[in-house]
Amino acid sequence: MTDASIEFKGSSFTLSVLHLKTSKLAELRKELAKKVAQAPDFFYLVPVVICIEKLDCSIDYQGIKALIEEFNFTFVGFTGSIDKEQRTLIRELGFSFVNTARTNTSKKQVITERPIEQETSEVISNTQVKLYSDKIHRGQIRSGQQIYAKDQNLVIIGSVSAGAEVIADGNIHVYGALRGRAIAGAKGHHRAQIYCQNLEAELVSINGNYWLSESMEQHWGSPAYIHFTDSELTLSKLI
Amino acid sequence: MARIIVVTSGKGGVGKTTSSAAIGLGLALKGHKVVLIDFDIGLRNLDLIMGCERRVVYDFVNVINGEATLNQALIKDKRVSSLSILPASQTRDKDALNKENVGKVLEELGKTYDYIICDSPAGIEAGAMMALYYADEAIVTTNPEVSSVRDSDRILGMLASRSRRAELDLEPIKEHLLLTRYSPKRVEEGEMLSVEDVEDILSIPLLGVIPESQAVLKASNAGEPVILDTESDAGKAYQDVVDRLLGESVDFRFLLAEKKGIFSRMFGG
Repeated sequence: MTDASIEFKGSSFTLSVLHLKTSKLAELRKELAKKVAQAPDFFYLVPVVICIEKLDCSIDYQGIKALIEEFNFTFVGFTGSIDKEQRTLIRELGFSFVNTARTNTSKKQVITERPIEQETSEVISNTQVKLYSDKIHRGQIRSGQQIYAKDQNLVIIGSVSAGAEVIADGNIHVYGALRGRAIAGAKGHHRAQIYCQNLEAELVSINGNYWLSESMEQHWGSPAYIHFTDSELTLSKLI
Repeated sequence: MARIIVVTSGKGGVGKTTSSAAIGLGLALKGHKVVLIDFDIGLRNLDLIMGCERRVVYDFVNVINGEATLNQALIKDKRVSSLSILPASQTRDKDALNKENVGKVLEELGKTYDYIICDSPAGIEAGAMMALYYADEAIVTTNPEVSSVRDSDRILGMLASRSRRAELDLEPIKEHLLLTRYSPKRVEEGEMLSVEDVEDILSIPLLGVIPESQAVLKASNAGEPVILDTESDAGKAYQDVVDRLLGESVDFRFLLAEKKGIFSRMFGG
């Protein structure tokens, strides 16, 4: 069987997720009409997954699907971190339940990631995580210099000298040695991370939580990244 | 067109004036027309190192203020006729200079000279900024020691952001690292940063390494730039620097501690 006429392969797609905060169809219809009226072309036949995580048990699944299709969306399935019985019920009704990477993770991680969901869970959000554009700086950041990437990630192709300061509202990437201070998630973003090829930083900070150099001895002088996990700063080897 | 070279460091006492004098004289000995400008207004030193302190009549500030012409203020070196010195004022302070007039003086000098060497004052204030503003190249003088390296790093930031070339978005200032007072023995003993350490932190091309030498102090006091002391390691190292500035490729010397021979061991040399 060298020339099979079909083949299964795993692929990832970006899908819009519609987060519902109520199961009352009349209210949803009103909100959806308002949203779709803003950009009818944009939403036309857009595949959409319905997140029912925030709803109580009395959900009219068929009703929701019909409502979605009424507004010319292409209904894909339901999602959200819900219990097993509810999931079974959805499948028995003939709908697909879509797992996100998040609902598969351990309970502990779900807890730490809840705040970010609150940040993005508008009635309709096209993306689930904050996406920042990049501010790219070529060359070394010298002692006494300061760079701030407002509402952006900061990419530095070069080293950051001792006594220099790099700040970003998003992530910070240093393709060189990080010897100065790096402050990521400056406006409050606990998922921000700091990457560098050679960690010798005076100070690193994510979302206001900071470390001085003495806390980074583990991967000192080697490629590493700093992230915020389980409510504390964590240092990991990069390669 | 004249090459304007600033000799700078951030930190004081690392050898800016010694290096300016040695490099300036070295270039002149090679037949180039060179003018050395002392930007350290109020702390006039370059004339002492050059041995022309008794011949200062007018100075840089007089020229800036239109109280003297350039020709009146310039002092011709007695050893090499193609070298001139524009001394600083000892009685004024650094606010006496302004960008516009300094620019005019440099432009005027550029008509006659091949090299304009600006000996910068220490610090990162107006005086040092004035010295580097018009530069095409910078010789960043650094001692193999952490505070000097950090200050040099700061000055490199200034070169990249506060100079005329940066402001007009021209090709950036060409940076050279000059490591002075280097002692290979102390590097081996771990007391001093090595050439590699400093290069790693500053990441600019190395122009020269001047070994720590008694000849430097002697030369300063005598008013004879150390490059004239052709027997000394420091003199030879400055000669290499001049050759490299002129585009020659010269191997680095004096980077390793001298191995003691059997005789010096026996006689405690």
